[in-house]
Order: sequence, then C-alpha cells, then structure tokens
Amino acid sequence: MADRLILMGVVGRAHGVRGLVRVHSHTADPAELAAYSPLLDDAGRAFTLVWKGEGVAELRDESGRPLADRTAAEAMVNTRLYVPRERLPAAGQDEFYLADLVGLAARDPAGAPLGTVATVHDYGAGASLEIAGPNGASLLVPFNRASVPAVDIAAGIIVVAPPAERLVAPPAAEDAP
Amino acid sequence: MARSVWKGPFVDGYLLNKAETSRASGRNEIIKIWSRRSTILPQFVGLTFGVYNGHKFLPVQVSENMVGHKFGEFSPTRTFTGHSADKKAKRG
Repeated sequence: MADRLILMGVVGRAHGVRGLVRVHSHTADPAELAAYSPLLDDAGRAFTLVWKGEGVAELRDESGRPLADRTAAEAMVNTRLYVPRERLPAAGQDEFYLADLVGLAARDPAGAPLGTVATVHDYGAGASLEIAGPNGASLLVPFNRASVPAVDIAAGIIVVAPPAERLVAPPAAEDAP
Repeated sequence: MARSVWKGPFVDGYLLNKAETSRASGRNEIIKIWSRRSTILPQFVGLTFGVYNGHKFLPVQVSENMVGHKFGEFSPTRTFTGHSADKKAKRG
C-alpha cells in the first residue's frame, strides 16, 4: 500500500492565456483537491494546485513556477493527478476508503476463496460490495457486520458470510417482472 | 399531482407478508424484490432488500430516514461512473 497512488483529478482544457487550466476534481468536495498538494502526474512530476476560480486552477511545478502560458497549459491537458495513498487522512472506526476495499480477496468464514472485491456500491442505502468470482459470476453483499464480519486491509483479505436470499416474485395475477 | 392522502402509501401487498416472515426468522438474509414502486414503510426498517435495477439486485439496507421513499430510489438503473477518490464506506 505504501507506494499506491490514488487518482484525485484530471487536468481539463486550458483556460485563458496565462497558463491556467480547468481541473476535474475527484474528491468529495472539489475544493479539497488543493489541500492534497503536491499532486503527482504519471511521470512522477509534482505539482502544487492553487484554485483561481470555480474549476479553474494554477499548477505550479516543484520550484513553485506556474505554467508560463496557454501553450504550456495545453500540454497539460488530460494529465492525471495522483496522491500517494498514505497521504489520505485516517479513516474512522468501521470506515474504509473505497480505494482500499477494491481489490481485496474475499473468503468465506471457512477460508475458501470467493473472489475479489470489484466494486463498492453506495447509493444512499448503505454500502454494498460486488465480489467478482473466479468463474465470472458476481456476488453482491451488504457491507455490514453480519455479512462482512472481518476486514483486514493490511493482509488484503475480507471475510464474507453471504446472506441467505429470499426471492419475492409478484403473484401471477400481478404484472410480471 | 400528488397521491391522495386518504389512500395511504402504496406498497405491494406481498412485500409486507415476506417482510414479516423475514423479520420473524431473524436470519441474515436479503429479500430480493422487483417492486421498485413500493413505498418504504416503518415495518421494513432494519431489513435488507435486494432491489432489482434491470441488471442486478442491489442491496438496500433500510434505515429510518428512508421511510416514505420508494425502493427504486436506492437502486439506480443507469451506469454510475464512479465514487469520489477519497470516499469512505461505513460498515453498518
């Protein structure tokens, strides 16, 4: 996990003629992206981001110089901006970064492999994990203590106790699904 | 136009029966439903439903502040491009 990079934003189009760029922030609060500076690009160059307006930012290189002009800004289009995982603030009790959960190996309580966490869904009704099985099938489990009794980020393992399923199809007289 | 108050909230009747059965069993289970149109009632709080979105049954853990909404509101049918990079999930 030490050298893992998390994608936090992408540079959009150039803005004006003074080296400003539009930046698409992937943080929960877009303005928070500047707080994660310095941001790294794919080549390992570090940039400090300073917001100059809504969605418009100035990128400064390691020596503190901003992009010189629009040509330099256009050269930055589609540059991905990352931060090392260890720079994210510590999560609270029973909280986990989605970036940490994705990729964990899922095992059942007996230790048998179930697959890998492919996606974390969260649409306002509690998080749920989508586990991609070895045969291509996927398993969706709610992210609660009953279904996921143990999460070990350091070991890269979660224990999953798949809940029983009760299918409730409408009666035959109702409109069929 | 809003639904008339005298009718009460709409919910497919068979859901109520299954929810009662599930609650009585006390097991860790998902009730898979197609009924996205049903209103979430106070009787459903604490249960987990798998609400079909046309592709899969997304788990919906019903909490008190979801009462009055429809099941379909929590199981989007369109492709979601991704959560924010620093988003956290809380284990319920």
